[in-house]
Amino acid sequence: MAETKKYWKGLEELSGSAAVQALRENEFASELPVDRFLSDDKNLNSSSTSRRDFLKFLGFSTAAAALAACEAPVVESIPYVVKPDNLVPGIPSYYASTYFDGSDFASILVKTREGRPIKVDPNPQALINGSTNARVQASVLSLYDTQRLKRPVVGGAETTWNALDGKVSEAIRSATASGKSVVLLSSTVNSPSYLAMIEQIRGSYANFRHVSYDALSVSGKLDACEKFTGLRALPVYSIGDANLVVGVDADFLNEANGQSLSGEYGKRRKPSASMLRHVQFESVMSLTGANADKRYRILPSQRPAVLAGIYNAIAAKAGQERINAPTLDGDWNKVVAKTADELWIHRSSSLVLAGGGDYESEMLALGINQMLGNFGKTVVLKYRNRLRTGDETALQGLANDLKSGSVGVLILDRCNPAYDRPAMAELLSKAGMLVGISNHLDESASLATAVAPSHHYLEDWADHQPFEGYFAMQQPVIRPLFDSRSSMESIDRWFGLGSKSALQRVKDHWISTQFAGDSEAWNRFVHDGLYIAFDSIGQLSEPALVDGMASMKELSLSSNSAGAKGLELSVYSKAGMGTGRLANNPWLQELPDPISRASWDNYLTMSASDAKELGIENTTQSNGALNGTRVNIKTAEGQVLESVPVLIQPGQAKGSVGLAIGYGRTKAGKVGDGVGVNAFALLSGSSLNKHFMSGLSIEPVEGEHEFACVQLHHTMMGRDIVRETTLSDFLNRPAVDGGSGWNERTQFETYAGPLTADKANLWKDFDHSTGHFWNLSIDLSSCIGCGACVVACHAENNVPVVGKEEVRKSRDMHWLRIDRYFSSDMNESVAEEEGVSAIDMFRQMEDPSENPQVVFQPVMCQHCNHAPCETVCPVAATSHSAEGLNHMAYNRCIGTRYCANNCPYKVRRFNWFLYHENQEQFDINYAMNDDLGRMVLNPDVTVRSRGVMEKCSMCVQRTQYAKLEAKKAGRPLRDGEANTACAQACDTGALVFGDANDPQSKIALAKKDDRMYYLLDEVGTQPSVFYQVKVRNNA
Amino acid sequence: MNLRLSLRFQPIRVLIFALLAPLAVWGYEVQGDDANGKTLFNANCASCHKLDKKLVGPALGDVTERRTEEWLISWIKDNAALRATGDADANALFKEYNGLVMAAFPQLSDQDIKDILKYTQTGGAAAAPVATQGGDGAVALVAEPKKDYSPMVLGGLLVLLVLLIALLVKVKNTLKAVRGEPTTDLLSDASYWTRAVVRSQKFIVLATVVVSVFTLKELYYGLMSIGVNEAYQPEQPIAFSHKVHAGINKVDCNYCHSSARVSKHSGIPSTNVCMNCHMYIDGSEIKNDAGELKYAGERSPEIAKIYASVGWNPEEGKYIPDYEQKPVRWVRIHNLPDLAYFNHAQHVTAGQIECQTCHGPIEEMEEVYQYSPLTMGWCINCHRETEVKTESNGYYAGLHDQLKAKHGDGPITVEAIGGLECGKCHY
Repeated sequence: MAETKKYWKGLEELSGSAAVQALRENEFASELPVDRFLSDDKNLNSSSTSRRDFLKFLGFSTAAAALAACEAPVVESIPYVVKPDNLVPGIPSYYASTYFDGSDFASILVKTREGRPIKVDPNPQALINGSTNARVQASVLSLYDTQRLKRPVVGGAETTWNALDGKVSEAIRSATASGKSVVLLSSTVNSPSYLAMIEQIRGSYANFRHVSYDALSVSGKLDACEKFTGLRALPVYSIGDANLVVGVDADFLNEANGQSLSGEYGKRRKPSASMLRHVQFESVMSLTGANADKRYRILPSQRPAVLAGIYNAIAAKAGQERINAPTLDGDWNKVVAKTADELWIHRSSSLVLAGGGDYESEMLALGINQMLGNFGKTVVLKYRNRLRTGDETALQGLANDLKSGSVGVLILDRCNPAYDRPAMAELLSKAGMLVGISNHLDESASLATAVAPSHHYLEDWADHQPFEGYFAMQQPVIRPLFDSRSSMESIDRWFGLGSKSALQRVKDHWISTQFAGDSEAWNRFVHDGLYIAFDSIGQLSEPALVDGMASMKELSLSSNSAGAKGLELSVYSKAGMGTGRLANNPWLQELPDPISRASWDNYLTMSASDAKELGIENTTQSNGALNGTRVNIKTAEGQVLESVPVLIQPGQAKGSVGLAIGYGRTKAGKVGDGVGVNAFALLSGSSLNKHFMSGLSIEPVEGEHEFACVQLHHTMMGRDIVRETTLSDFLNRPAVDGGSGWNERTQFETYAGPLTADKANLWKDFDHSTGHFWNLSIDLSSCIGCGACVVACHAENNVPVVGKEEVRKSRDMHWLRIDRYFSSDMNESVAEEEGVSAIDMFRQMEDPSENPQVVFQPVMCQHCNHAPCETVCPVAATSHSAEGLNHMAYNRCIGTRYCANNCPYKVRRFNWFLYHENQEQFDINYAMNDDLGRMVLNPDVTVRSRGVMEKCSMCVQRTQYAKLEAKKAGRPLRDGEANTACAQACDTGALVFGDANDPQSKIALAKKDDRMYYLLDEVGTQPSVFYQVKVRNNA
Repeated sequence: MNLRLSLRFQPIRVLIFALLAPLAVWGYEVQGDDANGKTLFNANCASCHKLDKKLVGPALGDVTERRTEEWLISWIKDNAALRATGDADANALFKEYNGLVMAAFPQLSDQDIKDILKYTQTGGAAAAPVATQGGDGAVALVAEPKKDYSPMVLGGLLVLLVLLIALLVKVKNTLKAVRGEPTTDLLSDASYWTRAVVRSQKFIVLATVVVSVFTLKELYYGLMSIGVNEAYQPEQPIAFSHKVHAGINKVDCNYCHSSARVSKHSGIPSTNVCMNCHMYIDGSEIKNDAGELKYAGERSPEIAKIYASVGWNPEEGKYIPDYEQKPVRWVRIHNLPDLAYFNHAQHVTAGQIECQTCHGPIEEMEEVYQYSPLTMGWCINCHRETEVKTESNGYYAGLHDQLKAKHGDGPITVEAIGGLECGKCHY
């Protein structure tokens, strides 16, 4: 029986209005004006194009187009005229160099192909900071930024170097003559040659001075260190020698005063009886806090109080004098006492790190470390850290001088005070002449009268002394792309120092001062990128300590936690963006924040309970994207930021909010402009050093903000996607113990008894007994979620950037994502205890705890040996290899997306658009859309086109290359020779890649480890990627 | 062809010597074998000397007229020793060439040197007959034109066929006449049968099938050949002959395409590699088929293009300072699509494949063309058939035994080690 259901198109049709009735009867809504067109005889007759001609033209043009398409283009092949000796087309060359941009420092190896730098890799020879974080990995793309300053600019018009030099020299001369000062403002400088040059200038110009400052100031910390050592230098931390690290508002995994601690931290987080324990007190959920074994939420203003509490508890044990400390609430006293007890147990093998840049916190941290006997052990004062030497007092002095008009010439060397000290922006123009040395016409340079374009660091010579007695060489790997000049050379010319090039200056300095004419030593220095002078100047000895403890009593500590009005705001830096220097780098903008998983944005992080009180919401839209309320914020000092989006962040301390720096650039370039808001605008006075402020008022405003989050599901909903256990269980209980161990495999009941998923299968097994069997191990205990691997993958595999709108639609193209899960207060046992129904249980499981535990899980294609994607591909575009890889032939793919649907790990990415050679739509993806940007592409990897599926290839180009190198040399492949880009970039050692068929390899050992498990093992996909159970040090 | 002929006999040089011989003041006849002399001259002397022209060192065509045999022998063997004895001629010569040291040749015997001197006298004219006999590999290989008999045979057969048909018709009509039936001629027979065949349904079906199969086949092959550029032979900016370089002069492929052994690219030699030889060889001696100097003794315009690229002044024999060098814009012949990864080193070094396997008889090509189709089927086929060169390559040391155990005693082909997998070439 056919039903006679009636469907109507709208309410009007249902009600049967006359207009609708009329419309329904006509095929076209309104009459087409055919008659009018045909009746226009006059025009039609006068036209010389007859219908026949029209058809002729049509036919001819179609045929011509078809013929033209048939002709293959003539491809030219142009060799060198004189080929450089050490260059073989198709073979990469590596050069040791150094990255230092005033905040990040790294010893690197630069991979070049046919003279083009295409990838930055860590330098394994470096003793310290031989690792590359996301920013250093991405820095190579900034070289090919077409928006870099290309020519010298004077008065807003492009000019020649001679004209610019003449003008600046003249200004310096007249300033000197009229008794005005000449000031060079820069970020931290640790280059011996540069500092020697400054001395030289000072020798001949009495009115010259150099001021340096750090974007996120640690000036107060430096003052504190001076109290202890007599030297204004931060110590170097040796976290590898610690068994307990306590971070108080210190995001030391993201950046520890420029020193990279993540490598040693990751290694010491491998579970063992002596595993490093990590306790964190903080307000914003930071990368560091997310990795802590125990995380306490404090307000930023409680930082000194907590440190003082610990100080006093330890002072009592060490027999030292107590200091006046603000009182803490009852519960906090217990926490502080417990932490102090733990620290006391780990005397001389513990480390207390204080956040912020203020004097008080660092004094307390140094005092605690000294009482614990950590000096010389985990706090090494002799390798003085020279990566942060900025002086906020001197900057203030400069501001005052500018106000009074006594500055004749102000030279800004690669720093951007108009952005990171917005209060300075107005004052800059009060200098007699403002001169900028800059890569971009940025916020500050655009205010300058004369702007000298500086080289990108990969085009420039420089030396660095990041730590006492430890030197690094920055050698150029490509000729300057534009008419730019080394900043050292510019300054040299302006002050008439003999027009030395940067190379001459650096080389002369080294050959004459350090190497005593030994050019062989110089060559070695350039080749290695490193020079460690410990041997030649004698082993460094610990500096004599000044009695820092004496100044301890003078500390005036206050805590306004109790009874203070308004919220507190901490300013922090994100793992991707840092201080915002690389804001025009699309790889970094697209990198999702490890904690919030939002890209292309900064936002106010707020706790759920505060948000509820203030009526602030985050809502998920029907397309799966996240929207949030915007607010206006106003500080107690009166600074205002308007229309700041709010993201509700589990783990944020109640009563506090956080805002990341590095965003809100206005003159960074087409990628970075207008992304987020500028948090520096809120900092002033004491908050410049403290990195927080109190008494913030927040007021929601109209309109919703659209976030681009790649992960909105915050919890694992009770599944064991990330397996974790405690250290005591790991040490004392077996992994597999009849179903109650900490790493059990799922068993299925079958006619043949209980079987694991890989045994209970219908498929024929692949034989991986011969040849290589590429496997990747991911240690969830070591992974800190920093995202360096994601950017490394971008660079290695030509992964496109899709922009905020597309990310919002979940069309991000990252081959490797780092999932972040929060723990929930609800689980099955709680539900049973409290009698919660199953539906309510699952509903509550979606909500993360107020102070959740966090896990990070990098997920890329798992290279299943029984791959669900392979069986559903109608054209066999994805297939299995004898080496355990899941291959993807792009040219065969027709884009059905069946594979992505059938992938249990959701790691396949679809090219919804043409991302390359599509400047109209994807201008921001400049690595693929302009001739200069394309130079960064890896020539060994295909750039995928629209309509095809792509995914992690386990860097097959690298394994193939390593195999061929071994074949060419006629020797077996050695472990570690073939490595993926992600594993190479991972300095915590969380990612290990290798041939599991080589019994001596690291990966073969990892595969046998008790902690090894497969993601979604129960599906029976038998992946080539496996994970190691996360172990929390519960102590 | 020109060069090949030029090696056979050199009339100009013979003429020069014929004219010069009576003028020689104290010329003497060297007793030696000029064929051997030529070989030795080319191997040892030619990089700095020519017979008729000053190069790095003086022209040697008339050297026996200027110097005595004994002096020449001791000079060539060890000129430094001769100079050390205080020989005035030797020291004057050394000074004349600005102290440019000539290498010593202690390995040459007296007879060898005499052979070389003989060659400088004869200019190789006497050696010519040896060459034509195939002595030094520079043999003229003028093939006899192959006689093609097929049209004549076919014509004969056709005539025979016509005669046979005529005979059969005659026989049939005779038989019909005997039986009193009306006779038919050939034309009406043919039209009857044609009509019968054309009207038959079976024929129509058969013809349709045949025609459509043929059309489809042609269409299929036509479509499959799109983008296959076999025999592609573009015109190059320099008329470079692989036949002359790789064939006749037997220059090793790797000398110019040096990166083929180590890199994915075989590498087109940079101009400075050309200059290694062409600093001395300017092509003025090239002869055409008729045995005449092709460029009338002038520099070859093709080689001049190399000089123009790199900035070499052949008159002064030095590079032009601050010259704006211009690379040679060769036209690429073998164009693999970007989606396919090909590595020369893998095939040349690891696989020990001859260049000719893919590039064809390159040493016979005057102008290079694409010899292989470079289609995926062609690649795959080779991977199926080619054995992996496991011997003497340490990389396969352990793998070889494992593969033997897995595949039995059969050959271990590239396929057996995963050479047919998509991801080996497409990534």
